[in-house]
Amino acid sequence: MLTLGPLVFAQPLYLTALAILPVIYWLLRVTPPAPRRMRFPATRLLMDLLAREETPARTPWWLLVLRLLLAAMVIVALARPLVNPSTDFPGSGPIILVVDNGWASAADWPARRTFMDGVVDRAERQGRRILVMATAHAPSGEPPQVSALLRPAEARAHLEALSPQPWATDRAAALAALDHLAVDGAAHAIWVADGLGDGAATELARRLQQLGSAEVVVANDDGPLLVKPPSLDGSALTVTVERLRATSERTVTVRALAADGRLLARQPALLGEEDLAGQALITLPAELRNEVARLDVEGHVSAGATALLDDRWRRRPVGLVSATAQTAAQPLLADTHYVQRALEPFSELRTGGILDLLDGGIAVLILPDVGQLNADETAAIEAFVAGGGVLVRFAGPLMAVHPDDLVPVRLRLGDRTLSGALSWTEPMPLAPFEPGTPFADLPVPPDVLIGRQVLAEPSLDLSDKTWARLLDGTPLVTAERRGGETGGWVVLVHVTAGPDWSNLPLSGLFVEMLRRMVALSGGLPAGAAAADAGALEPVATLDGFARLETPPPTVAPLLPEDLAQPTIGPAHPPGYYGSEDARRAVNLGSTIPALQPMDAMPGGVAVSGLRQTRELNLMPWLMAAALALMIADLVISLVLRRSMPLPLRMRTGAALAVVLAAWPGIDGARADDDFALTAANDTYLAYVITGDAAVDETSRAGLESLSLVLRSRTAVETAGALGVDIATDELAFFPLLYWPVTDAQAPLSGQTIDRLNAYLSFGGTIVFDTRDQGIGGGIGGGIGSINALRQLTAGLDIPELTPVPPEHVLTKAFYLMQDFPGRYAGGEVWVETTEEHINDGVSSVIIGSNDWAAAWATDAAGQPIYAVVPGGERQREMAYRFGVNLVMYALTGNYKADQVHVPAILERLGQ
Amino acid sequence: MLKRRRAEALAAAMPPLLVAAERVASTVAQGVHGRRRVGPGDSFWQFRPYQPGDSTQRIDWRQTGKGQNVFIREHEWDAAQTAWLWRDGSASMDYSSATALPTKRERAEILLLALASLLSRAGERVALVGGGDPPAAGRVSLGRIAMTLERQPLADGLPPLADLPRSAELVLISDFLGPLPDIDRVVRFFAQRALHGHLLQVLDPAEIRLPFTGRVRFIGPEAEGETLVPRVESIRQAYLERLAAQQDGLAAIARSAGWSYGVHTTDRPPQTALLSLYTALGAPPRIQDRAGSPLC
Repeated sequence: MLTLGPLVFAQPLYLTALAILPVIYWLLRVTPPAPRRMRFPATRLLMDLLAREETPARTPWWLLVLRLLLAAMVIVALARPLVNPSTDFPGSGPIILVVDNGWASAADWPARRTFMDGVVDRAERQGRRILVMATAHAPSGEPPQVSALLRPAEARAHLEALSPQPWATDRAAALAALDHLAVDGAAHAIWVADGLGDGAATELARRLQQLGSAEVVVANDDGPLLVKPPSLDGSALTVTVERLRATSERTVTVRALAADGRLLARQPALLGEEDLAGQALITLPAELRNEVARLDVEGHVSAGATALLDDRWRRRPVGLVSATAQTAAQPLLADTHYVQRALEPFSELRTGGILDLLDGGIAVLILPDVGQLNADETAAIEAFVAGGGVLVRFAGPLMAVHPDDLVPVRLRLGDRTLSGALSWTEPMPLAPFEPGTPFADLPVPPDVLIGRQVLAEPSLDLSDKTWARLLDGTPLVTAERRGGETGGWVVLVHVTAGPDWSNLPLSGLFVEMLRRMVALSGGLPAGAAAADAGALEPVATLDGFARLETPPPTVAPLLPEDLAQPTIGPAHPPGYYGSEDARRAVNLGSTIPALQPMDAMPGGVAVSGLRQTRELNLMPWLMAAALALMIADLVISLVLRRSMPLPLRMRTGAALAVVLAAWPGIDGARADDDFALTAANDTYLAYVITGDAAVDETSRAGLESLSLVLRSRTAVETAGALGVDIATDELAFFPLLYWPVTDAQAPLSGQTIDRLNAYLSFGGTIVFDTRDQGIGGGIGGGIGSINALRQLTAGLDIPELTPVPPEHVLTKAFYLMQDFPGRYAGGEVWVETTEEHINDGVSSVIIGSNDWAAAWATDAAGQPIYAVVPGGERQREMAYRFGVNLVMYALTGNYKADQVHVPAILERLGQ
Repeated sequence: MLKRRRAEALAAAMPPLLVAAERVASTVAQGVHGRRRVGPGDSFWQFRPYQPGDSTQRIDWRQTGKGQNVFIREHEWDAAQTAWLWRDGSASMDYSSATALPTKRERAEILLLALASLLSRAGERVALVGGGDPPAAGRVSLGRIAMTLERQPLADGLPPLADLPRSAELVLISDFLGPLPDIDRVVRFFAQRALHGHLLQVLDPAEIRLPFTGRVRFIGPEAEGETLVPRVESIRQAYLERLAAQQDGLAAIARSAGWSYGVHTTDRPPQTALLSLYTALGAPPRIQDRAGSPLC
């Protein structure tokens, strides 16, 4: 090894080859470059032409430098230069690599792998064998074992197969495995530890040290994270995240995932500079919250940082039977109001009738004093309770009079009044809750006083059924389990749910008690039958990287009594146990009380961080650079030999400039804007440009003069005529589109049809003029222009048509008229059949054949251009009047239609 | 056929080419060259009185009706000239020094076709030397020539010594870079048969100027061998002298046979070369006092 500052040559002997560089230089200088080869017809004339001067051709100096550099690079690369090289391991015996592969090592496993690979690389360079030991139990349950003496390649394969396990390490077992180990020479042990302490950590380090020397490598961040199973806090899931060491302030992101992997929520949890634990509050709508199946920490994959959720974390819908209709009017007097206010923040509360609620699927039914239940309701509630539901009843005057069977204890008829005008007794406070009841640890506020209650008949099991008592021992809350072990509870609170009988509903205790009672159902898996049947079979288990997988065959069923505190290990990895329907989550987080750091290491054992500067091998980079230079040299040689033309770039540039200059976008957009401004600033009568110059000119002249007529006779102020290209121009500006039909028009493209359909559906009107005096046989015929029209309008949304009826608005929009002559008289005019109230009753299509534009058209002097047939000024005047009516109709819609009723209205008013 | 279209476009700029009529005398085929005597032809020559033995079909009845005698209409005897064309098809012609320039062969063929087009529009009959087809007039023959040019394999650098009819026009287009004695032998062979010939030398600009520099190995396309030139700049002058000697030799050969000689480079428009050929063919045979037309 040759060391030059941070640079080390692993094979320095190769550097001696640098001495041959001058030889290469001399050879390159002497050998001239190969001549260009050129095919030349006049070669005969060149034959034996003797040159007058002969200078030896030389390789250009820069090419010489390039080639020498190339040779030098290859030589230096062969010497294997290393940056930041690692030092040698002490000792001469094997390297012992001890790997903690418990759950805590999963999060930074890639970094551990990199480190271990580095160890193997160094061992290889020193020619030392390797022993590998993983400290966690294998999935098959085997305790940690030391591998055989491995060559580096074998060790790499061995490490490749190693993966973190979802349980903790067992260093005591590892220690036992080391007991029988004998090594030749002084071994060097490297322990890649996860930083978690157990009793045997120090002992293990000491044992390793005895084999030669030892060093411990621990991740120098704040260690593995542990996610505790969340607690249900009302509507929120409170997730606690713990860490091993508090090194700095840190924010971790807790994710809530659904069973199918959907991300439901992300919430940061802040771990202060001193804090070992932080909390994330995940608030979700009830439906989404019930879908949460898994909580983990973003970017920190390990079984410990993952909490699986099961039905226990589901919010149970609570059904509240609303008593009577009058409750809504006086909420403060209604019993349900207090229950509602107490439960709303924590549960999904539904109100309604008993049967409706039970049908909708609820976990808890709260029944205030609603009077007698009928047989159906009683049966339904009994079935509900037998199926695991919880019934919470409140007493009241009605129950006192009509006791029924749906109570945990037999009740005396009537109630007991502790305070009243004719009573000696005072309202009574509660006795402290007895252990063993659901309310066991709740504090009893002294100001809760019970004024009236219903009384239970004394019986042998009364005290077993009593969850709360008054100070004098009379039961206040009694409960009974119905339907055996799997059944639900019937709970009776002996006072009303309102403040009539006591001030309990006004106290915070009421809220707590209700929550406990609701939680009764939460504590029960929906199908708790599995728990009864005995051991819980594994359903799905987590692997070391917190992936849910099919349980390996080595996983044993979990006994129900172990469910609370299971021993996580190869036999019981974290995961789901039970059956598919009723599964219980077993979490690593709940079995670990707190994360313990490793004890201090014995003296002489070096402790270092995991992330060390990795040595960098420069050989591949240098080789790649040499290859690039070689390619460059090849290209240069070719160019020198054959004068490769390189004018391509210039040509490409010129072509690009041409393309840019010809780009049509900018001018087109400006033209569009001009058109839109013109058309939108005034009302124009628009005609379709057909492409036939004579027809277009007639249309323009006709609409111009019609526009004049409109201005002089009506309040309509049109600015004139505007030709429209239906394929490209925006049509939305025009209320009316005059479309003379010619035979020569090409069928419409699909895009144009879409535009026209949009125009028609948004209130536009198109006037088709076949200009053939109806000789095509009208709409029903199939000759000439009608045929052209039919082909032209194929694809348009043309409604059902009818000849203009006598009462149509077109006949009276401005002038009263019954026929609509243009240049020709007598052609029928067709409009939409149904005068519906869409589009204000204006027909979207008007079809005629009288060539109106020709009748309207005048030249510059105001003289008509075309003679009308059969003739007469009267016909031309009628044509103008039709034009006025048409524009009025298109602009004003059906308001003239209302005039139909005016005579009748006037007549009625006159009476 | 692209070549033919380009050639015709080139020829369209000039009037049809009538080969000088003096050479026509001994040819027998009909053409548009008036022979100033009676014979088969289209244009009217004279009326003569009917003689027994004349076909009655030749009687001009209109003229006969004007008087007492019966007249026969006689036409002027037309005769057509034959032009034999040849271009060098050897490998040395497939050369162009720059991608923008046409190869010499391409330029030679365009000139040949343009010339053929001009001639056939004038009613002259054209044929390829060694083409196998007899001389013919009209567009069909033009097409045949174009196809023959496409098909013709790479030929030798000199025209075949075919036994051509006497007194025809002969146009030889080549780079004429071969040995002068060979060219002289060919020209002599045709000149002895009283053919009037034209030599057009088509050269690439690189062959005229030798613009290369540095160390170049030149390879002849026709197995002349190859030569390594260490510095092309140093031998440029010697090369130009040799080229001039070759061209002088060619001019001398042409002069001795009474033929014309011209040089054309491919970086010049083909019209100039066509124009010189046009004038050479259209003019009466020169007094042999000129070495050749200047570079064009």
